[in-house]
Amino acid sequence: MIESILSLTFLAQVLRMFTPYYLGASAANFSERGGVINIAIEGFMIISAFSYAFFTITFGNPFVSLLLTIIVSLLFSLLYALLTIKLKINQIVTGVGFNLLMAGTAKFLIMFFYQSSSNTPNFQPLPGLPFISDIPVIGKAAGDYIIVFGFILIFISQFVLFRTRFGLRLRSVGENPEAAETLGVGVRVYKLYGVLVCGVLSSLGGIWLASNQGSFSDGMIAGRGYIAIAAMIIGKWKPVNIFFACLMFAFFEGLEITLQITGSFLPSQIVQMLPYVITVLVLIGFIGKTRPPAADGVPY
Amino acid sequence: MSSNVIPAIEFRNITKKFGTFTANEDISFSVAENTIHSIIGENGAGKSTLMKILFGIYSGDSGEILIKGNPVKFRSPLEAIDSNIGMLHQHFELIEDFTVFENVILGSEPVNSGVIETTKSGIAIKTLIDKYKLGLELDDRISDISISQKQKVEILKLLYRNSEILIFDEPTSVLSPVEVEEFFKIIRKFKDEGKTIILITHKLNEIKELSDRVSVLRKGRLVYEVDACGLDLDVLSREIIGNVAAVHLPDERAVFNNPDVLIKFENAKLKKDNVDKLNGLSFTVKSGEVYGICGVEGNGQSEIVEAILGTEKIHSGKMEIRTRDVSLVPDDRIGKGMIKEFTVGENVLLREKKFFIYNAKRIKEKARDIISKYDVRLSDETAPLESLSGGNQQKVIFGRETGLGNKLMVLVHPTRGVDINSSAFIYKIIIEERNRDKGILIISSDLEEVLKLSDRIGVIYKGKIVNEYGKQDFTFRDEAKKQEFMTNIGKAMIGAEV
Repeated sequence: MIESILSLTFLAQVLRMFTPYYLGASAANFSERGGVINIAIEGFMIISAFSYAFFTITFGNPFVSLLLTIIVSLLFSLLYALLTIKLKINQIVTGVGFNLLMAGTAKFLIMFFYQSSSNTPNFQPLPGLPFISDIPVIGKAAGDYIIVFGFILIFISQFVLFRTRFGLRLRSVGENPEAAETLGVGVRVYKLYGVLVCGVLSSLGGIWLASNQGSFSDGMIAGRGYIAIAAMIIGKWKPVNIFFACLMFAFFEGLEITLQITGSFLPSQIVQMLPYVITVLVLIGFIGKTRPPAADGVPY
Repeated sequence: MSSNVIPAIEFRNITKKFGTFTANEDISFSVAENTIHSIIGENGAGKSTLMKILFGIYSGDSGEILIKGNPVKFRSPLEAIDSNIGMLHQHFELIEDFTVFENVILGSEPVNSGVIETTKSGIAIKTLIDKYKLGLELDDRISDISISQKQKVEILKLLYRNSEILIFDEPTSVLSPVEVEEFFKIIRKFKDEGKTIILITHKLNEIKELSDRVSVLRKGRLVYEVDACGLDLDVLSREIIGNVAAVHLPDERAVFNNPDVLIKFENAKLKKDNVDKLNGLSFTVKSGEVYGICGVEGNGQSEIVEAILGTEKIHSGKMEIRTRDVSLVPDDRIGKGMIKEFTVGENVLLREKKFFIYNAKRIKEKARDIISKYDVRLSDETAPLESLSGGNQQKVIFGRETGLGNKLMVLVHPTRGVDINSSAFIYKIIIEERNRDKGILIISSDLEEVLKLSDRIGVIYKGKIVNEYGKQDFTFRDEAKKQEFMTNIGKAMIGAEV
């Protein structure tokens, strides 16, 4: 069992698990840093995964599809922003609505376009980076554009949030919008930016999942959007901490899969519980008090 | 100040109503360039409203404002800031999770293609800090610094934005005597630099020490104006208060023969982040007495309260609280004393123990009770407490806590931000409660207040009571004795040998 964990296959597995979590968690973080709670990460991933499958099957070019999918996600983000920022509808209610809407829409459209109740036809996944992809075992993961982007995103998030004017203003709006406004920061505009960035990043998470599977199937996101939000909270809204939180989730989920494949003395139900039990233990034992942005979820 | 010089600011017939409540009525006066102009008046006299109109937070119903002769009408504070007007609010507009540097630059960030430039701007801000002796560190987080430092951050924000006209809204109400002196120095420095300062206050000594000219507002109207050189404090006080019968402190102090010990600290120590906040603290508070603790803020006062409340535990020594019912007026009224979104009535009801259901009538009765007894000025009983001015909020909390009838009362800055009239009333209640055999602990940075109210006084320095005085020590036969005592206690407060 130990050999299977220390293997490169396992590492590649963890990388694959990690990517959608980190994209989703970073997405949620950008939105919440601006004070808008977006629990519809799951929904955004679903609609993006479907859109990507649809565009790739229809147009063939994976990069064009990627772009179109991001545009779709941006349009939904605009709608989310309209409801929560402009019309000040409760963000949790809106988020729940979006999750239901997007899951239902995807399911309906599979039926509409492909006469299937569960999945789209298969398509070619995103090609990998040249050379790196050819490395045996680990190459497919290490040469994946989106996985690589996921890792660079740690530095991008950290830099954008803490070294740029955009980041400073975004955070000020999430912490104390009244104070930010008296200093001339356009509160709603920055909230909008946060929601849009959130849309793009969560979209990439969905795209990756669809591309990795080579199709879209109903239920394929499987709660990853919610796990991502949990990772953001455990990571205390800090890019680097979120990275480790996602890595932890990915590790235990990888472990769960490996244990299931290799077989262990533990019943499989117990093995499946592992990531969540560990999460709860970590929450109790090590994380301490988490403090969201002070004006998180408060309409302005 | 001759009349042919264009004033820095001129108010012309400003009127502002909130519903049926007239906050400002036909106010006209001007503020000369490069002067310190005080606006004085009780809580709710309309000072803050007038300044908020100037600063673009409210818009006036009628009248106009001229800046250096040009009529202006700011639609937002931003436009005021652009015209080099800066305002220091009573409630700070700081982002707690940000550093000093981040708070200062927010909104006017020095950037190179979107990336914040920290080196040069850091030096520039540091220069301002040194020039005005603000004593701030750029990397300190706001949530970790003291109230007076937060205020300095607000001042630094104004300086960073090149404000020429500075409005200070009751700036010293959160400061200890030593900090007030520092603050005065900063203000004078501003004047030396050619800036124009408007000081909103209800403290007579500030006016005497600082201002060039004074305008008195009462119930929304401008009632009196005078140059500081012709200032008569008696006249001024009368104008501020109007025709209200003065409240006298009850002279008699009941004597109780067998007082109960209510609070007892014995060599108590309390550490926070490895700093000894209480370091061998010993004192007792008995029933039927007022025990006053005075000292420079940050010498362990808040830790005493936290220890009494049980939010912090002492690490060694002893602390006994021999009653279960404690009334508390905390130092941070918005954070600890009330729920700012609740109405007056709800906040009062919140503290009551024996009820299961309540109705609107009960809330209204509770509210009316306090409103009339303490002369709370508000436009609407159903408005959230946060819409009241600071002094009025304080009256509500004080009224609620004394109304509980608890054996022990802990009062921190009981009259902070409260006007003369209401302060006198609060003092009267405190003495009355004392005469009902209650034990009262007062922690205040206002030395006069502590002297006036206390039966015994403890001076706190670095987490320890360094000196204790009985009533006979501070009942003075003449002014000279008083001066001598004040010098001694002042020395004790800063840790100098007595």
